[in-house]
Amino acid sequence: MINVVKEQKGNSLLVRLTGSIEESVNFEQIIGLTSPELIVNCRDVPRINSVGVKAWIKYFQSLQAKNIKLHFIECSTAIVEQINLISNFIPEGCVESIYVPFSCATCKSELVGLFKTDDLKKLEFKLPPLKCTKCSGQASFDDIPEEYFSFLMR
Amino acid sequence: MANTDFLLISTLPEDRAFAASAAESAGLTLITATTAKEGATIVAEKEPRVIFLDASSEAQYKEFETAIQETVGLFSDKINANAIHFLTSSNIEKVQYLIESPLFGHFIMRNYHDPVATGLYYGKILKATLSERAFGLNTLLPNAKVQIVKLQKTTQKQDAVEAVKNFFIAAKFQSRMATVIANAVDELLMNAMFDAPVDEAGRPLFNSMVRSTSMALIGRQSIEMHVGYDGHYAAITAVDLFGSLDKVKLLTHITKIYTEEEYKIRTSVAGAGIGLATVFRSGGSFFFVSESGVRTEVTVFFKRTDNFREFKDQFRFLSTQFYF
Repeated sequence: MINVVKEQKGNSLLVRLTGSIEESVNFEQIIGLTSPELIVNCRDVPRINSVGVKAWIKYFQSLQAKNIKLHFIECSTAIVEQINLISNFIPEGCVESIYVPFSCATCKSELVGLFKTDDLKKLEFKLPPLKCTKCSGQASFDDIPEEYFSFLMR
Repeated sequence: MANTDFLLISTLPEDRAFAASAAESAGLTLITATTAKEGATIVAEKEPRVIFLDASSEAQYKEFETAIQETVGLFSDKINANAIHFLTSSNIEKVQYLIESPLFGHFIMRNYHDPVATGLYYGKILKATLSERAFGLNTLLPNAKVQIVKLQKTTQKQDAVEAVKNFFIAAKFQSRMATVIANAVDELLMNAMFDAPVDEAGRPLFNSMVRSTSMALIGRQSIEMHVGYDGHYAAITAVDLFGSLDKVKLLTHITKIYTEEEYKIRTSVAGAGIGLATVFRSGGSFFFVSESGVRTEVTVFFKRTDNFREFKDQFRFLSTQFYF
């Protein structure tokens, strides 16, 4: 079940989505009428099912048709996976930052690091290891680069 | 004495190691052929119970199809799609010639990693396909503890999905892996609830129904979820009592990808048509078994790995068993 926290910032509406996106989602109802600019924070979306994907595409395509400027920030790994699997999940060039998964070689902990998409391109998707927050060991990128960053390579 | 012949048609050493191990695990006797023609002759003479074919290219597959047509005939009772396993190194969407084949039964993607260990595992699946009816999660994953959940209402799905996620987190799967498994379960249950039910003429009953609809799952609409884990592999089965699975539709859905082409929203059906394809691309393997008008079981498998990269890149297969 998804929850939304909204914050108006001048001409922009910032919405923070929290929870899984599935068949009960009604974006028109939970986000409602938007400002000329919509910033969607997806940090706390752990999961999205196929019916949720369909609802997502339908809603954001309708906003795009109304010339609303869209920005997606702090996209969770679940959202990044959908961006990679479905070419029109998010309009091109609207993803500003994503969470990147890391795994600690020592304690096997899962970690995520927040990266701006522009910075990832500058790094040519070669990410330096992170220091594990649990054991101080070395955590490295934990996915297949050609797949996880494929939307940025299109 | 029952026929135990298992035919491999391949020249690749990794296929031989994989097949030898699978044969041992399934209690079969491996016979190897290096050409399609040689393989077709063995089919005609020995009627092997299982055939593994290197179908890496369309030319290789066509050579086999022609050889079979010229020896026993494509629709002969000496050849049965349920017994044919295509081996390739490509993703399923890249081998349309196999998807369109009248001989399609099983697809194996050749990322064996360790061909012997993977063969031992796949041999159990193979053994299940040789039983009279390959139903039951314990047939596919013999050493797993299996929990059975009966769903009474469609609205219980989300709780079931969350319970599966928490179960696999407790079993030391990374939370991202557990989320992928949970999503797979979500898709299987949704299909069983809304796509499987058909009327006596085979027409879908609920495929245009909004997926958040609350509906009782009683009588023939009963749904079961079976959850198993043997310490290495997680497997979850969704069971329905309609036996309405359509192989052509299934393969069309599972091979459709939208990485280049745009996804177009269809309003005539309430489902999205992308669930199974997403699961397969996330590292899941599938075993579909359906007896027409009686029962369908769809099982998804995931191997537990130390990291997500290996999880996503794990050995994968897609098996179908249809009984009429």
